[in-house]
Amino acid sequence: MSKYPVYNHDKGREYFDRALKVIPAGIYGHLGPSEGLWIPIQKWPFYSSRAQGSYFWDLDGNKYIDYMCAYGPNVLGYNDPDVDAAAKAQMEKGNCTTAPSSIMVDCAENLVDTVASADWAFFCKNGSDTTTLAVMTARAHTHKRKIIFLKGYYHGDFQWAQKIDYPGILPEDVCHNLVAPWFDLDALQKLYDENDGDIAGLIAQPYDHGNFYDNVPANKEYWTSVRKWCDDHGVVLIFDDVRAGFRLDIAGSDHYYGIKADLICFCKALANGYNMSALCGGEHMKATVSGMTYTGSYWMSAVPFAACIACIDKMKKIDLPSLCRKLGTQLTDGLKEAAANNGFHLVASGEPALFYLRIADDDSLMLHQEWIAECVCRGLFLASHHNHFINGSLTEDDVKLSIDIAEDAFNEVRKNHPELR
Amino acid sequence: MTDAKTLSYINLYAILGTLENLCELDSKAKDLLKDLKKPISIGFDVKGGPSATITFSKNGCRMEDGIKPCDIKLPFSSPEKFNGMIDGTVTPLPSKGFTKIGFLTKTFVALTDRLTELMRPTPEALEDREFFELSTTLTFYTIAVALAQIGNQDEIGKHSASYMVDGDLLFGINDGPTATLRVKDHHLVTIKQAPEKPRAIMKFADLDLAYALFTGTANALECVCNGSIEIHGMASMIDNMNRLLDRVALYLA
Repeated sequence: MSKYPVYNHDKGREYFDRALKVIPAGIYGHLGPSEGLWIPIQKWPFYSSRAQGSYFWDLDGNKYIDYMCAYGPNVLGYNDPDVDAAAKAQMEKGNCTTAPSSIMVDCAENLVDTVASADWAFFCKNGSDTTTLAVMTARAHTHKRKIIFLKGYYHGDFQWAQKIDYPGILPEDVCHNLVAPWFDLDALQKLYDENDGDIAGLIAQPYDHGNFYDNVPANKEYWTSVRKWCDDHGVVLIFDDVRAGFRLDIAGSDHYYGIKADLICFCKALANGYNMSALCGGEHMKATVSGMTYTGSYWMSAVPFAACIACIDKMKKIDLPSLCRKLGTQLTDGLKEAAANNGFHLVASGEPALFYLRIADDDSLMLHQEWIAECVCRGLFLASHHNHFINGSLTEDDVKLSIDIAEDAFNEVRKNHPELR
Repeated sequence: MTDAKTLSYINLYAILGTLENLCELDSKAKDLLKDLKKPISIGFDVKGGPSATITFSKNGCRMEDGIKPCDIKLPFSSPEKFNGMIDGTVTPLPSKGFTKIGFLTKTFVALTDRLTELMRPTPEALEDREFFELSTTLTFYTIAVALAQIGNQDEIGKHSASYMVDGDLLFGINDGPTATLRVKDHHLVTIKQAPEKPRAIMKFADLDLAYALFTGTANALECVCNGSIEIHGMASMIDNMNRLLDRVALYLA
């Protein structure tokens, strides 16, 4: 008998069946069954009814400890009282107004004081808005065309950031994209030479945290050499810190790796779930950004700015990066031990704040997917294909509970696979 | 955006290759071969494109890669000319086997006509369940082989294949046909049977769903979401196979 009973999702399924009639794919994108890899779909909760701190509840009343954190935005805990109070106070004053609220200035000043490489902040809504602006800015600044990406890249879903074989993408949309392997300066030089120096920018996440494979952290030596290479060749260095931002270093992941990017993109952890993103950069890029034709209906809404200020202040107060590192390490050490207790080899890779998991006992990931499903249907929400996220409300007791559920799930998988004994 | 060379690989290996399954599964095709006294082979040699030999016997037919010793040889000066034979605008002239031309003009043409009847069915014909099941099964085999041709030949398909890791992908229909898409160094080969140890699995719930997917009235990602397509394992293989599947529709339209 399982220590943690398996959840049922009848009400969730009922809603999902309704959704399938009126919403393409029911739940599209990374939060849904396809991109979220719900294998098998019956083990997943579909929808939440409420959330608090590190937990959410589904429509059937099941409780989940959540290590996906809405794929990043939940950085301080769901319904953080300080962030929500700031947002509520601003809401009473005004939100989406013709003359933007002055809190936009306060927010930009806060970011400039927080992010080491930032002399200014340009606000948008989603990560893709900022990566797109960054690429346009690099081209406008250099009057060059090509952008270098690092293998396994993800910089959002706008056309330029997709791949040539994706539905709806034209070869012309991506014809100026060049791809280099990680940690290979010679490859950057080769691309530069092959393209007669027509390189506007290099866009990269702080380290190799792609899906389906063990994540590979970078180091200061690597980024220092890339920084120098970009300087020597007039290439704009863009840090896509949308996913990792603030969890590694409050001053930006470029600061964590000892450099200053020319442009740095933030979104997920910026305002604890209030919808905003920001492109920040050095003074030398400010005139170029000022001349861009780029805006959106909700980009200057005031409520997210208030939430952002409160969020940044609290992340500093609790030293979020240290907390994430400590609890991420405790959790992954415990999960690996739970795996070993049941005869499995669990690999945890990447930064502890954004740990990636993989059972290494088969190369198809089927065993791993099975374990993840057994965790999810017992109340431990993990993903089989993507890195995870630690949030600031997580406690050591939460970590202990997570390891206990994981062990129960490992035990179930072991029972289901007598051939592995 | 399609290219003639890729289409010629699809036409030879995927379309004519489905004659193997037709002769195995269809009683009308079996009837056409039952009186064959000894095996007879046709070699298709496309300059700048694929080549293969199909050997027919009273028990069925089998395709082998390349030009083997054959009774009838059909040379084509370009992929476009070969594609023309498939769509009926070019009449092939054999360079060898004039005495056996009767097989080519009668039996072979009758088999390909039967294949066309099943692969491009009328709505009325599909109302017969047995016809529908055979038609969808044959379409499945054609698509399974076409996936590999697109991954190996088509410029955008090669991009998808470049992201596929080595291993066997099981591609199948519950209670229906199954195939293996084998990936090695980003080169794809289709085997018309299930793999022993798949690294990834993509299975359609039934033939009706497969038909809907093949005819573009359903989308694979949507079906993953509603649970009518079952996936397991190395999702990057499945993801990229789906991109190849999108391009199959373009070539087979």
